[in-house]
Amino acid sequence: MRRQIKHKAQGGCHGRLTPVPAGLSVLLVPGAAWACALPPSVILTLPTRHYITAAALTVALTALLAALAGRLPQMGAQVWARRRDWLPASLTSYVSFLAFLGLVLIGFFGPRDPMHNLMTLVFWTVIWIVVPLASAVFGNIWRPINPWTGPVRIARTLLGRSTGIGLARLGAWPAIGFYLWFIWFQMISSSPDDPAVLAQAALTYWAIIFVLAVAEGEDWLEEGEFFTLLFGFVSRIAPLWAERQDGQLTRMIGWPGAQVLRMAPLSRGSMVFIALVLSALTFEGLSETFFWQGLIGQNPLEPMGRSAVAWQNSFGLLAVFALTLSLLAIGMQLGEKLSQGGMRADRIMLSFLAIASGYHGAHYLMMLLTAGQYTLAALNDPFMSGDSWLGLPPFYVSFGFLTDARIMPLLYGTQFVLILGAHLLAVVLSFQLSGPQRPIAHLPLTILMVGYTVLGLWLLSTARSG
Amino acid sequence: MTTTSLFTPSRRRLLQTAGAGLLTSAMPSYVWGQAAPLKIGFQLHRTGIGASYGRWYERTTTAAAAAINAAGGIAGREVQIHYEDDATDPKRGAEVVEKLAGPAGCDLIMGTLFSHVVMGSAPRAGELKIPYLVCSEGYHVASGALNRWVLQPGITDVRQQISAMAPWVAENLGKKVTMIYPDYAFGHDHRDHFPAAIEAQGGEVIAQIAIPPTETSFTRYLPQIPADTEVLYHVMVGPAVLTFVKELGEFYGSGAKPALFGFIDSLEAVDTASPGLEFLEGSHFWEGHCRAKPADAGADETAYRAAVGVDDNGCSVSDAKDVSTYAHMFSCWETLYFIKEAIETSGYSSPADRQKLVEAMEAITDLPAGPERPQGAMVFDGKKHQAFGVQNISKVEGGKLVRVHQTTLEESLYDNATDYTALSF
Repeated sequence: MRRQIKHKAQGGCHGRLTPVPAGLSVLLVPGAAWACALPPSVILTLPTRHYITAAALTVALTALLAALAGRLPQMGAQVWARRRDWLPASLTSYVSFLAFLGLVLIGFFGPRDPMHNLMTLVFWTVIWIVVPLASAVFGNIWRPINPWTGPVRIARTLLGRSTGIGLARLGAWPAIGFYLWFIWFQMISSSPDDPAVLAQAALTYWAIIFVLAVAEGEDWLEEGEFFTLLFGFVSRIAPLWAERQDGQLTRMIGWPGAQVLRMAPLSRGSMVFIALVLSALTFEGLSETFFWQGLIGQNPLEPMGRSAVAWQNSFGLLAVFALTLSLLAIGMQLGEKLSQGGMRADRIMLSFLAIASGYHGAHYLMMLLTAGQYTLAALNDPFMSGDSWLGLPPFYVSFGFLTDARIMPLLYGTQFVLILGAHLLAVVLSFQLSGPQRPIAHLPLTILMVGYTVLGLWLLSTARSG
Repeated sequence: MTTTSLFTPSRRRLLQTAGAGLLTSAMPSYVWGQAAPLKIGFQLHRTGIGASYGRWYERTTTAAAAAINAAGGIAGREVQIHYEDDATDPKRGAEVVEKLAGPAGCDLIMGTLFSHVVMGSAPRAGELKIPYLVCSEGYHVASGALNRWVLQPGITDVRQQISAMAPWVAENLGKKVTMIYPDYAFGHDHRDHFPAAIEAQGGEVIAQIAIPPTETSFTRYLPQIPADTEVLYHVMVGPAVLTFVKELGEFYGSGAKPALFGFIDSLEAVDTASPGLEFLEGSHFWEGHCRAKPADAGADETAYRAAVGVDDNGCSVSDAKDVSTYAHMFSCWETLYFIKEAIETSGYSSPADRQKLVEAMEAITDLPAGPERPQGAMVFDGKKHQAFGVQNISKVEGGKLVRVHQTTLEESLYDNATDYTALSF
């Protein structure tokens, strides 16, 4: 959706001026530009090249040591606690559904300012950032708050449905389609923050999934609905998690990734889905860089806004997806060939869950620290009446840390640790998942992981216009 | 629609606890009569590249509306600000104008900062015949590029800023000037207007170094600075500014260097005492409104800072690291008071009176200093639809911006052929 230059300037440009398209006039009128809104970046003054080189070497050396030593840490798990599962997910899901409806209403009828509207704030900071981050530490917290399972179970019971319509045979492919639509909405469409637009999109998506899940059964959500699939994958990295069986809830503790080793091989659709997750995170970072802005002919100091580059970014997203998929496929096939079939892609691909989780955390850290403040303020005082529901003292949203030469290096350091840690974990997992193989068989995947480490850290440290 | 800020009540308490809320706490709680509220649409850069400014523009506007309401509103009507995000996107800007003029039922629209959003939105405001008051600093209004419905009454434009300061630069810093600027319209404003201004003072621009906007390292450009440069005029903006200063410092080392003169736009919302900016010590900057409270500041300046929640260093009262966009955000405050004056003198009562309102705005000339204009006195040129005012030059002393000179209002004045009053509505 290339920015539509409105040919409506006639109404506003009488007299001496020849009517010109509004957008074009920006380029023609002297003094039309004013762009000082990007704060100087402390990160750009850091020796990030050295950090990136060190991280790449660390990942490569870890792979080399693992290949030569042939020994890997045991990634066991232990039972931490057992109790009765007294809070059924269908109940909490129903409550979550009601809360979702409340947010949708706020989106439609609440404040128009997205930073004061709980629909925008809760969705983009709590659901999209906090839930996966918390799931990567504490296990799948999306499960109890999934807004579909409860309503779907109730609807199926009322309708007397106990069978499906065969959607499950499609595996993760519906989730891939929905996720593609979602990331286009998030990264490329003009108004993902607009409370009413977001509420409408969320409600539409909820209704589509609800109808499909009622027809197929709530178990279909696990692989067919992208939030459930994505957050479920991310939670597999968690060192803490819960297992449920026969009304019993067992809390487990283990090494990050210990759950991954116990997972069944991935379906082809799930592998593509993970590739899409990596692509989305990569492109979201890439699309803000000066490099990408220059590539698509935008002045990064005065970009024309999302609406002007929708086609370029749509193409870019698909290109990054195609490239990621191709590189992963080549890497996996080479690994399989070099290991004489010992390294199966449907197992090895699980190791990339660590990278997706780590990069999600690193990428959204800043957004959490900035937009998260607005969310806290709005939750603390949802009716703008001076209340303090969370018990927080009155506060101004404050972004001083973004230009603080002491704090920003610490934040970059946190991102660095998240990215590096995720890649080291991925290397270890890939070795664990592939079993004993010839060292050379690990080379293609190791090259991919080193490359992705460099790319991830570069995206976080290069000049950006976002 | 948002009618008041989320932080309005909190701000009050915050200011009280911070000991800075004498003004606010003393405000009477006004009881509104039968008159309908006056709805002012605010085109807010809440998201997108302008978000760091949008946050402070909203804060300032909310404070101004609160102060006006506490004093009885505008023509006895409560002021309601309807914020609408344009994502700093020209196309969305036009849509925001439509929303504010249509479904939201606003009487007029204000607040746009980014010039490309102004350019994308102004034609729609003209078509919808709704007053559109921008706070953008660009020369686009006074140049005559827009329409009868667009005015800039709360902030001076780049052209007058440049021409007003040239005499002081020539007299105090030097006459041989090298300009270094980003190679796009913002930089071109300076490239095009400064040479004539300095030549009028007997000075000359001996080199102009244009930096591509995508550049993040400057070492290969710095050797282009002529050795006999007396003043280095820099207007770099964006994330690489710290790198620019650092590399400039490394280029000159501890040896002789030219005097530096810049625009605070480079470091708006950034602490000038930040590590890495030491090279700027002793250099000079243009400031629209002085971030650090001048020693001779009066009660109006103090009251304005208290109302917006900004301390004497130009930082948020709740976070001394949170530097405001002080040099520009006063424009929201002053624009709102300009609206107040125009509505009250025109007898505006409903959107049917919008034309009458614009004519009343065009008739305004004197905008004296006072609580309404903490930045200083201005005059409004109804033909150009542009305010003219004083400019400040500050020196970095001990990492702090200290005002060393204030231009006269007359030094800002320039003439051109723009006459919006000759255009039809």
